[in-house]
Amino acid sequence: MTNLVVHDLHKRFGGLQVLKGVEFEINGAELIGLIGPNGAGKTTLTNILDGAIKPNSGTVYLNGVRIDQLAPYQVAKVGLGRTFQVTRSFRRMTVLENLYVPAMALDRGYSKARIAEKAMEILEFLTIDHLRNEYAQALSGGQQKLLELGRLLMHDPEVIILDEPFAGVHPSLMEIIYNYINRVNESGKAIILISHQMDSIFTLCKRLLVLNGGVLIADGPPDEVKRDPTVIEAYLGTDEDEDMHHDAQASQA
Amino acid sequence: MNKKNIPQMAGAALIAAFAIFPFVYSANDYPYIMHILITGFFYAILASSWSMLAGYAGQFSFGHMGFMGIGAYTTALFSHYLYLTPVPTNLCTEFPIGDMYLIILDPIGITSSTLTQDCLRQALDIWDGSVQVTPMPVWLGIALGTMMGGIFGLLIGLLVLPLRAAYLALFTLGFSEILRATVSAEIAVTRGQAGIELPYLFDNGITLFGHQFDKTDKLPPYFAMFFLLLACLGILTWLAKSKFGLFVRALREDEDAAAALGVNTVRYKVLVFVITSMMAAAAGAMMAHYIRIISPNNLIILQMSLVVAMAVIGGVEHFVAAALGAILLEYMLEYLRNSFEIGPIVVDMTTWRLVVFGILLMLTLRFSPKGLLVPMIDYFKRGHVRKETMAKRNAENTP
Repeated sequence: MTNLVVHDLHKRFGGLQVLKGVEFEINGAELIGLIGPNGAGKTTLTNILDGAIKPNSGTVYLNGVRIDQLAPYQVAKVGLGRTFQVTRSFRRMTVLENLYVPAMALDRGYSKARIAEKAMEILEFLTIDHLRNEYAQALSGGQQKLLELGRLLMHDPEVIILDEPFAGVHPSLMEIIYNYINRVNESGKAIILISHQMDSIFTLCKRLLVLNGGVLIADGPPDEVKRDPTVIEAYLGTDEDEDMHHDAQASQA
Repeated sequence: MNKKNIPQMAGAALIAAFAIFPFVYSANDYPYIMHILITGFFYAILASSWSMLAGYAGQFSFGHMGFMGIGAYTTALFSHYLYLTPVPTNLCTEFPIGDMYLIILDPIGITSSTLTQDCLRQALDIWDGSVQVTPMPVWLGIALGTMMGGIFGLLIGLLVLPLRAAYLALFTLGFSEILRATVSAEIAVTRGQAGIELPYLFDNGITLFGHQFDKTDKLPPYFAMFFLLLACLGILTWLAKSKFGLFVRALREDEDAAAALGVNTVRYKVLVFVITSMMAAAAGAMMAHYIRIISPNNLIILQMSLVVAMAVIGGVEHFVAAALGAILLEYMLEYLRNSFEIGPIVVDMTTWRLVVFGILLMLTLRFSPKGLLVPMIDYFKRGHVRKETMAKRNAENTP
């Protein structure tokens, strides 16, 4: 069973303390939402989890392996994969080549024919199989999001971090991404979903982590977190806030 | 015939044409044309290996001529300063190797010339022809030069790991300039601007196709450089089709994303530097033995710009296109040396040819940024892709 243990993470950039003792644990195929205002430390936490940056102190263990001091490619091999906030497909490589990269890099002993077969299965699931020989740069923004998700299926990690998977995606593709998340989660993978789209977060996630100012201010089921006064004040706001916001916009107009 | 195979068939035809050219061409300018082609092959190795480094892997290095120089100077110094004798001189620095002695001559600067340098000359005078002095084998010098290029490629590859784009270009430019300044300044060892002389590529001549060729004949070095080019292109093709090619292209596109998907970016970034540096060094070492002199002028930034321009005009993201671009441009640059007359005006093209070259480069960058040859290759290799995509989409949309 997947076990990710984040313990007392601290990260400082110069004089700016970005993470202040963040800790949580993931056990099994949980589907967790990571939310918080801009500058809360979500991206820094993600970058520490995937090895792109090192924490000043604290530890991260994935299935018993300490990963906070490993390089990103080593973390990927241990079993953590991610997408990026801004889509980062390999633009001048074909869609199929994009999928071959993780399959070849992680070298799970599959034959080339099996890799090609698996890649086609994934592309069919994501409904972009007709684009397999196109360069990724020819794909729309939403299709590139799907391609990035497809790469993760080839990677097949134990823990998946999806950073804003719904941002800039056409509504018709949202359903595909929803299906993707549910299918991957049901196949036994833990998912950390980062999004500012609260509807999606509340629909999909069974547990929420809320970061604010580098501190984990809430960790629990969505219904509970929604009512947490600290979270409401720091991030979610109230219906009254929403009304005031709309009124302000109306008066400006 | 499958349209996709046309580029391969054209390539095979071109290889065959270059292979038979020396036997069918018999005009008076035969040595001159052969020299142009040998030089073209030399630049083709540099342009194609640079294309792997910059075009495939995205490592826009300006140090390639520096690696070429390392290969050339290594074999030059090796052949200039080291000799084997069966007996010790008791005058030079020397080490026993088996039943021979390795003689290391003293650096004596620009007044020296091969085989007549102080301690060895004195020994030869004493021996009075009774002892045979053996120069070091040229192939060993070329092999050492290639290895040295790889070692420097490894060092530079490690040093530039955190650098990207313009910073990488400036760093490697700095390396190349430091190297040029060093060989210019170390007159005692390298003879500075005077350059260092090397033995012929085939100093004792060679028998090829049942014919004895003199050391000054063009055909042996033509085939030596041609086969080195084919070997480099063969290795590059194999690399490009392997996971190495896949990973370095991913590295070029997005280093962080590649690493997050399990690619050891450090390993492949360093490897691509080592491999392409070795190719540049091998080409430099062989060319130095062909032209028989290497000087700091061979390492100037203009030479690097020429290699970059050749690769860009051919197609920097396709090493075969880059190689062909180099051969074509080398020929064009030589052809344009011919002056011509417009009425009473004589146009001296020795100067204007560089202007023509510059205009061609600018037009390529503006109107065909993938190079002049890559769009043609893409037409045959990828022309079907869009049709297939549309056909599949239409089939799916048809009820």
